[in-house]
Amino acid sequence: MDFDWSTFFLEIINFLILVWILKRFLYRPVLDVIAKRRAGIEKTLADARRIETEASELKRQNEYCLAQWEEEKEAAQARLHEGLAAERERLMAEMEAAVAEERERCRVLDERHQRDLKRAVEEQGIAQGAAFSAKLLARVATPELEARLYALLLEDLRSLPAGDKRAMADAAVIPGLQLNVQSAFALDESKRAELTRALAEVAGKTLPVEYSENPELLAGFQVSLGPWILHANLRDELKFFSGALRHAG
Amino acid sequence: MEAVAVLFRIGPFAITSIVVTTWGIMLALGVFCWLVTRNLTLDPGPLQAALEGVVSAMEESIAAVLPDRAQLLLPFIGTLWIYIVFANLVGVIPHLHGPTGNLSVTAGLALLVFLSVHWFGIRSEGLRRYLRHYLSPSPILLPFHLLSEVTRTVALAVRLFGNIMSLEMAALLVLLVAGLLAPVPLLMLHIVESLVQAYIFGMLALIYVAGAMQSQQNLERNEEGNEQ
Repeated sequence: MDFDWSTFFLEIINFLILVWILKRFLYRPVLDVIAKRRAGIEKTLADARRIETEASELKRQNEYCLAQWEEEKEAAQARLHEGLAAERERLMAEMEAAVAEERERCRVLDERHQRDLKRAVEEQGIAQGAAFSAKLLARVATPELEARLYALLLEDLRSLPAGDKRAMADAAVIPGLQLNVQSAFALDESKRAELTRALAEVAGKTLPVEYSENPELLAGFQVSLGPWILHANLRDELKFFSGALRHAG
Repeated sequence: MEAVAVLFRIGPFAITSIVVTTWGIMLALGVFCWLVTRNLTLDPGPLQAALEGVVSAMEESIAAVLPDRAQLLLPFIGTLWIYIVFANLVGVIPHLHGPTGNLSVTAGLALLVFLSVHWFGIRSEGLRRYLRHYLSPSPILLPFHLLSEVTRTVALAVRLFGNIMSLEMAALLVLLVAGLLAPVPLLMLHIVESLVQAYIFGMLALIYVAGAMQSQQNLERNEEGNEQ
């Protein structure tokens, strides 16, 4: 256990030199690189935090935009539904109006058809009634009925309204005209003379009279003077009756 | 224990094999560190990662005692750990003697620790405030403080010297008595003991320095306790 002062002092110097060497070539470079790495890690962490913050902000903005878009979508859907409902109601109203118009048109057509059908039936009934009456009256048209009608003719001529008498008098002044008297049966001379006088009384002067027979009259007479005609026969009465029925229908 | 051979002289200094071994360790460590640290990258390889792990472990150990002064103390305390580990392990190599098995070396290291305690203490607290802690808690304890300074420094030197010297001597004796391979377990124990002694020496130095740097704080804490 010897003690050497040279070794003692040299060891102190050597150790201090070793401290400098290790500080220069070990501690400082290693600590520097560790510090750089730590700074890099800190920077990376700071960047990560910044990116996380930005991502959070973007996420918040995105969620806000999504919420807004959702609200706009719902509002647009509501508007669309309202528009569709209004359009549907408008179309339904138009369709109902068209249906009502078509129904009214059908009703009018049906009524017209019913009226035409009723009129046709009535006319057919009137025609059948007239034909039946004509056939019946043809069977009862006899000279006796003719005589009765002759009496009625004379009576009618005597009680002819003033207007008819004046019309006949006006027609009688036309030169060249003559009275035509048609009868279903032949008139004897006495009746012709009596009728001629009655006509002359009505016309205000004696006019030539031509007598003729027309079996279509069934029974009775037809007296004409130009445009003036006096009907006193079954055929014309039936026509008047049928016409009155049609006009009444 | 044979006397250390003087290989040559430089002026008044006798260059012994111990000093040459120390130079060899310094040269090896310097070249190794220079080679490894000249191309450090942020993406470390295995060797760089191991080196960073060693430095970080030493820094964290110092920070556990002095959190704010780790970088200040790392060169001194870290170099103590590294140098003593290699100086202890050199003795395992045949025909070489570990420098720490020599009392001159351990005494030099202990003297450096003694001086560094006061250096860091005065640098941290200022001369007056640092010296005040020798009078705390009572001026009567000043001789004991001074005695403690001397004895712990001597203990530091003798502890390391005794352990390493005894290990080398035990291995030599076993080799002489038992044969070639018999000292192998003892050499394994030497390795473990080398690491433990290096850690103890550096840790004690750290605690002494920390005590000096925190002496004023301890003093103020004691005064506050007395006032209460």
